[in-house]
Amino acid sequence: MAAQLVLSGIGQGSIYALVALGMTILFRVTTIVNFAHGELFMAGAFVIYALLRWGVPYPLAMLGAIVFLFALGNAVERGLMRPLAGAPHISLAMMTVALSYLLRGAVRFVWGGNVRSLPPLFSFAPVEVSGVIIDAEDLVIILSAAALLAVFFVLMRYSQLGKYAQAVTDSARGAALVGINVPAFHCLMWGVAAVVAAVASILVAPETMLYPDMGARVLLRAFAAMTLGGFGSLAGAVVGGLLMGVIEQLAGGYVSTAMIDIASYIVIIAVLLLRPAGLFGRPEVVRV
Amino acid sequence: MTALLEVERLSVAFGGLAALSEVCLTLAEGTVTAVIGPNGAGKTTLLNAITGYVRPQSGRVIIEGRAVTGLPPFAIARRGLRRTFQNGGAFNDMSVLENILLGADKALRSPFFGILFGFPGARRAERQAVAEARAMLARAGIRGLEETRARELSFGQQRLVEISRALLSRPRILLLDEPAVGLSESEREELRQRLRGLAGEGIAVLLVEHVVDLVMAVSDRVLVLNSGQVLAAGTPLEVRSDPAVLEAYLGSA
Amino acid sequence: MNGVSPAAKAAQKPAPKAGRVLRWKNAGLFAVLVLLALPPFFVDDYIQFILDLILVYVMVSVGFNIVLGYAGQLAFANAAFFGLGAYAMALCLGRFHWPFAAALVTAAGVGGGAGLLVSLPALRLRAYYLAIVTLAFGELLRWGYVHASSLTHGSAGLAVPAAGVFGLHFATDRARYWLFLVLVALTLWGSANLLRSRFGRSLAAVRDNEAAAAAIGVSPALAKIGAFSWSGSIVALGGAMYALLLGRISPESFGLSQLLLHFSIVMIGGLGSLLGSVLGAVILTAAPELLRDIPGLEEILFGVLLIAVLLFMPKGVAGVLGRFSLLRERLYLS
Repeated sequence: MAAQLVLSGIGQGSIYALVALGMTILFRVTTIVNFAHGELFMAGAFVIYALLRWGVPYPLAMLGAIVFLFALGNAVERGLMRPLAGAPHISLAMMTVALSYLLRGAVRFVWGGNVRSLPPLFSFAPVEVSGVIIDAEDLVIILSAAALLAVFFVLMRYSQLGKYAQAVTDSARGAALVGINVPAFHCLMWGVAAVVAAVASILVAPETMLYPDMGARVLLRAFAAMTLGGFGSLAGAVVGGLLMGVIEQLAGGYVSTAMIDIASYIVIIAVLLLRPAGLFGRPEVVRV
Repeated sequence: MTALLEVERLSVAFGGLAALSEVCLTLAEGTVTAVIGPNGAGKTTLLNAITGYVRPQSGRVIIEGRAVTGLPPFAIARRGLRRTFQNGGAFNDMSVLENILLGADKALRSPFFGILFGFPGARRAERQAVAEARAMLARAGIRGLEETRARELSFGQQRLVEISRALLSRPRILLLDEPAVGLSESEREELRQRLRGLAGEGIAVLLVEHVVDLVMAVSDRVLVLNSGQVLAAGTPLEVRSDPAVLEAYLGSA
Repeated sequence: MNGVSPAAKAAQKPAPKAGRVLRWKNAGLFAVLVLLALPPFFVDDYIQFILDLILVYVMVSVGFNIVLGYAGQLAFANAAFFGLGAYAMALCLGRFHWPFAAALVTAAGVGGGAGLLVSLPALRLRAYYLAIVTLAFGELLRWGYVHASSLTHGSAGLAVPAAGVFGLHFATDRARYWLFLVLVALTLWGSANLLRSRFGRSLAAVRDNEAAAAAIGVSPALAKIGAFSWSGSIVALGGAMYALLLGRISPESFGLSQLLLHFSIVMIGGLGSLLGSVLGAVILTAAPELLRDIPGLEEILFGVLLIAVLLFMPKGVAGVLGRFSLLRERLYLS
C-alpha cells in the first residue's frame, strides 16, 4: 500500500510543487507573498473552460490560458503592485488579497458559484506494475511538472535571466545600478509566476472540479510546501511540494482520510515552531 | 563620584571575528565620557553590547553595582539607562508628542484597571505626563510640531525628539550614538552645552562620536578604540598627546 | 530634570480649555449613543438584523485592529478567535446550560487564551511567517469543529438557544441590538482608554521600531502578548454575539472568507483607528446587502474598495476624516 500512496502522493505533490514554485519565483524577486496565487490558478482553469465552450480545441485552449495569464500577471504588476513600491508588507499582502477578491468575484459574476468540470484530457487505462496501479493522468502530471521544473532550473542556473533574478533578489538597488530595469523585471516575473499557475491549472483542471473558491485549497498547500522546503528557496518549493503530497497521502492512508485536509496545517505549524528556516532555507537574520 | 556603569573586559565576536576584545570602561556620576575611533573600530558594537542588543562573548556590564550582562535590552533600559540610535530611533508613524510621551511612560504607574475604566487618578497622571512632554518639547526648541509624524521631521529634529524622549524618563546613564552627525557649528555648540548641563544634573553620559573637536571640548574622559581594542584612555589632553592615538586616528584624520 | 516642573506647570495652563473640549466631546458621544439606541423603534425586521450584524463586525474589527493596526502584527488568526467565541457561546448556553453572563465571560476568556497562544509564535516569527502559521491555526480549528462532532455536531452546525440576563430576554433581534450596543460601546470605550495610555503607546512603539521600543524599557514580548490576548478576547466576544444573532453556527462560517472580510473591514476603515473599524464595519456589512442578488458583485466591490484604499487613502476612510482635528485619533488623552 505504501508504494501506491507514495506514487499518488507524488502526483498530487507535483501540483503543489508547481503552485509553490510560482509563488516562490515571485517572492524571491519582489518579496511579495501572493495571496492571490490560488486565484490565478483558478482563473487559468476557467479560461480553458471558457475557450472549450467556444469550440476552441484543447491544445489551443491551454495555450490561451498561458497567454491570458501572462498578460494578467503583467497587468497586475503595472496597475496594482507598481504604485505600491516600497509600501509595508501589510499593504502588499492586502493588494494581493484585493486581487483575489476581484478574480473570484469576476468568475462568480460570469459563471455563478456552481461546480463545473472539463472533459478529460486523456483516456488511458490505468497500468498495473507489480501491484501498484499507475494512473495515466498522474503520470502525465508528474512528467509534465518534472519537465517544466527542469526547464526552469536550467534557465535560472545557466541563462542571463537567472543572473538577473539573482541580482534583483540580492539587492534591487544594486541591480538597478548595474543597468537592470527592475520594474520591468518585476513585471516579467509576475507574468512568469502567473504562467506557472496556468500550467498547474492545465495539468489539474481536467481532473478536478472548477468553482470560484477552488484556489484557497491549493494556496494553503503551497504555503505548506514553501514552509516545509524553506521560504524563498526554489528547490525547497519543489521538494516541499512533493513531500507535502506524499505526507498527505500517507496520513490519509495510515491514519484517517480526515487527516488529508489538515496535514498541511500541521506541517506549517510544526515547521515554523521547530525549524522556521525549513529544509533548504537560510535562517532569518534579525538586524538591530 | 560614584561609578554608575562599569564595563569589565567585554569581548564580542561575530562569526569568529573579534569585534571587541576586553574593553574596560567606567562611567561616573556627572561626567561625560567619549568613545572615539575610526570606522569599524567597534564603537557602536560597544554600545550595543552594553545595552543588551549584542550578546558579549565574555566580560561583564554592571549598572550601579548589579551585573546586567545577558539581560534583554528592555530590562537593561529599566535599570535607568537610555540610549539613542545612530540610524534614528524615532517611531515614524507616531506623532512627535507621542514619541516624547513614551519617555514618561515608565513613570506612569497607574494600574491597568484604572486606565481601562478611565478613573480620575489615571487621567490626571496622563495629563501631567502630557504637560511634561510638551514642556520638554519646548525646551528642545521643537514647539509647534506636536502633531507632526516623526517621519516628516528632518534628521536633526528626529535626533532631538529621541534625546528629549530619553531625558523625559530621567535616566541616570545616557548613551548617545553620534549625536553630532549633520549638526551645524552652532548646533554643535548647543549640544556641547546641553551635554555639560546633563552632567551637571548628575547623569553619566557616554558619547560615541566622530567629531573630534566636540569630543575634546565636552568630555571628562576619552576612550580610543581601534579594531575592537582600547588604544588609549584618559583625559582629552592625555589622549591627544598619546603617540599611538596620533598615529592610528588623529594623524590620519 | 529640576527644570521640568515649572515649565510643566506653565504648559498646563491651557488645561481648563482642553478639559472643556473633552467634556463637550463626551457629551457628544453620549448623545450619539442615545441616538443609536433608537432605531429598533422604527426599522423593519430585515434592517434590524443588518444593524445587529454591523455591531457584530464593529466588535470584531475593533479587536482585529488592535493586533493588525496598533501592534502591526500580520496575524491571520482572527477567524479562529471569532469561531472560538461563537462555539464557546453556543456550547456554554446550549450544552452546559450556563447563565448568559457566564457564557459571555467564558467566550471572551477562551478568545483571550487563544490570543495568548498565538502571541507565542509572534515573538519568534516575523511578517509572512506569522501570517502563515496563524492562517494554519485557524484552518486547524475549523477542521476541529467539523470533526469533534460529538461536541459541535460537525458540519451540520450547532444551535444556539436564546438567552437572557437580569430578567431581560434577548430573543429578538431588537432586544439583541440593545445588548450588542451596550457591549460594543463598553468595548470601544475601554479600548480607547487603553490605547490612549502607555499601553497603546508601547504597542505602537513596538510596531514602529522594536529596537528603539526596547531601549526605553518597553518589553516587545509583553506588548505583543498583551495585544494578542486583548484582541483575541474582543474578537471572541464578537463571535459570541454572532452566534446569538444567527441562532445556529457551522464550521464554514469561520474559514478564509470570514478572515478576509475582517481584514478588509480593518484596511478599508483604517489601520490603527477605532473610528475606522466602526466605519469599515458599517460600509462592508451594509453594502453587500444591496448587492446580494447578483453573484460575485460583493467580491468585486470588496476588491475595488481595497484597491482604492491602498492606492489613494493609505490610512483608510478614517484617515480622510482624520484631517478634521476633532476626529483625529491620538495615543494620549487630549
